[in-house]
Amino acid sequence: MSADYSHLCSAILEQCFGKVVQLVADCLFSATTRSLSQIASSTKLSRKEVALALAVLVKYRLVDFSASQQNPFLAEYALRREDVLCLLRYPRYVHLVQAKYGNVGASIAEELINSGSDTATGILVKCLTEGENKSESAESYRNSFLQMITDHYIIKKPELLSSDETDEVIPKFETNECDYYRHPNIDLQLLAKIRKGEATVSEAKDGHMVWTLNYDRFHQDFRDSIMIDAIERKLGENAAECFRFILKIMYNTTDPWQRKLSNQVTFVEIKQTIEKKSNNLDLMKYLDQYISLITDDSLGFLRRVGDMGGGLFVVDMEKSFESLAFACVESVITERFGSKAARIFRVIRCKKYIEQEDLQKEAMIPSKEAKSLAYNLFQEQFIHVKIIKKPGGGSNGPAKAFYLFQVREKDTVRMLLDVSYKSLYNTIERSNFEKNEHKGLIEKSQRLDSIVETMKERGESDEYIAEIVETFTPPECEILKKVKNRIKTLSKAELTLDDTIFLLQMYQHHCTTLPTGIRKFK
Amino acid sequence: MAGRGRGGKTGTLTAEQMAMLGCTKDLPVQTAPPPTFPPVLNRPTTLETTATQNYQLLWKEDFLNRMKDSPYYIVSANQDSQSQEHKDWREKAIERMKLKTQPEFDYKSMPRELNLSSRKRRTADVRPKLLAKKTNIEDRLKILEQKELKTGGAEEDEVKQESDSEQEEEQDDPEAAMDEEMDEENDYGNTYFDNGEAYNDDDDNLDDGPVY
Repeated sequence: MSADYSHLCSAILEQCFGKVVQLVADCLFSATTRSLSQIASSTKLSRKEVALALAVLVKYRLVDFSASQQNPFLAEYALRREDVLCLLRYPRYVHLVQAKYGNVGASIAEELINSGSDTATGILVKCLTEGENKSESAESYRNSFLQMITDHYIIKKPELLSSDETDEVIPKFETNECDYYRHPNIDLQLLAKIRKGEATVSEAKDGHMVWTLNYDRFHQDFRDSIMIDAIERKLGENAAECFRFILKIMYNTTDPWQRKLSNQVTFVEIKQTIEKKSNNLDLMKYLDQYISLITDDSLGFLRRVGDMGGGLFVVDMEKSFESLAFACVESVITERFGSKAARIFRVIRCKKYIEQEDLQKEAMIPSKEAKSLAYNLFQEQFIHVKIIKKPGGGSNGPAKAFYLFQVREKDTVRMLLDVSYKSLYNTIERSNFEKNEHKGLIEKSQRLDSIVETMKERGESDEYIAEIVETFTPPECEILKKVKNRIKTLSKAELTLDDTIFLLQMYQHHCTTLPTGIRKFK
Repeated sequence: MAGRGRGGKTGTLTAEQMAMLGCTKDLPVQTAPPPTFPPVLNRPTTLETTATQNYQLLWKEDFLNRMKDSPYYIVSANQDSQSQEHKDWREKAIERMKLKTQPEFDYKSMPRELNLSSRKRRTADVRPKLLAKKTNIEDRLKILEQKELKTGGAEEDEVKQESDSEQEEEQDDPEAAMDEEMDEENDYGNTYFDNGEAYNDDDDNLDDGPVY
């Protein structure tokens, strides 16, 4: 966890939950665990405010609590640092659900996001009463909800252990891995009654089952789509479809977050699945060729490991995310230092260790230019220098040493990840600054819009409306347009930056042994 | 510095070595601070907007607005009072409308200390008690003042009266007195206080000198 990530988390939380939550989260970020009074004393906020902020953070699953080891009646709080970034990915989650389950699914996901976690009945009642698709039947909502559980997009939270003491200081939860995706019993008749006001949500039988979004399942989909899109761009649509089926078969036997390699998949399995589920005749006809195309490609997504069953294959997650992450690093270098610098970077990566003189020969770049580009890359920490000292050298002059350029891949990726966190933070801050700077103008235009809308509803004459609209002067209009454009560009940059961050995080998960935010059954 | 070590090198660099390190005599004199941001060498690539991005942008804006209006967006009391000063009546009315929505927390699945409503009962008891006490003191002070004017040397009576009235109060509501003590939420014995003066009291006479 870097200082850049800490700033980013702070900015995200401020944007969503306000200043008090930001202060509490900052305090928690800098420590492993803290108690309520410790937070109150270090943030100088009142106990009441800290308690409210912690309740919000617990509700949105950003803070965990446990009993202190010294005192079982004292709760200690810990921030889920990795999950703070998920707040920025909410639009992507909702979009994915919308693409898969339509508007009904999207409104379920939206309600789950808004409430953090809730019972199935509670969520469905909110969707049916407050959602945008009120016309949809309760049955379709229920079916979508159950389907989302089956597909693991929704997960059950650990169940609250009811103890004899009615007023326990720190609640305890029971975790049962087999139970996470068990369907709840949703009573449609009760739903109808609740909507009519004849019953309350507390009467539902599924009160003990609380559901929430399973971020890891969404991340699994994002990861798959990165790989499939890469194959589509490089080898075409049919190869991409073939790889999609391979991933599907892979998940039957492999844990989706296995770090390095998948379990083995046979050619026969792939062929049978494609014959059953695909209508693509070309793919069926030339399947062996498509598979060998993917296997031989330099991306290294698929590896042949044996000849049993027509050929044994494994999906090489380590190699694939290494190629994808370094394609990203190279494109960053191209954008910042030009294509020649990217060539130098590739040469160094390819040769592993290389001296300055050999570098300019290999890259075929004039010595002075090669030197300056290499030094620029070194300065920005894309490449590193390994010094090998020759023993001896005597008392006269410094010992003879070789300075070899090298790429320490993990360090380079970590550096780029930190730079991305920093720029994402800068983007958010700049966007906030723009909004604050032109707050008056933005509010004026919003007020004017609402006035015009009500006037149109009332059926006022167009001339009168135009007169009202003219109160917003042309220079003001121009400034507002510029500001809105700038904010939109910054928001787009936020989305794009998050894509890069996600890719680099996947590299860290699959190519290193570092602890990542991905935990089984969070 | 003769006689120290082997002599010879004094640790300073020769002009040649300095030149190799890039230090020349005529260094440019810096008169202004460096620019805040480094100059942009290449123009960044423009971003394309896809339909997916548009959906996500709109959703995000909507989400942030919703969060800002929700009861989970917490602004500290100080900031709130500061910002209230700059608002006109219309804005204040809108804010009041927003405040009507109460946050919903499942306090059963949270540590008990986070549930503020469970403490309300106790605080509600204490407050009127404190107020009552305050007014009593003021009243009593007035009475005492009057008495002082009338009779100058009835100090003993006053002390007696005061302690009596305190006792009465405690008799009125012994539970409230307990509550106040319990409010501190620690196991510190308030009734017990040792200022350290009694320490070594017994040994005092021994300090005078050795006893033969």
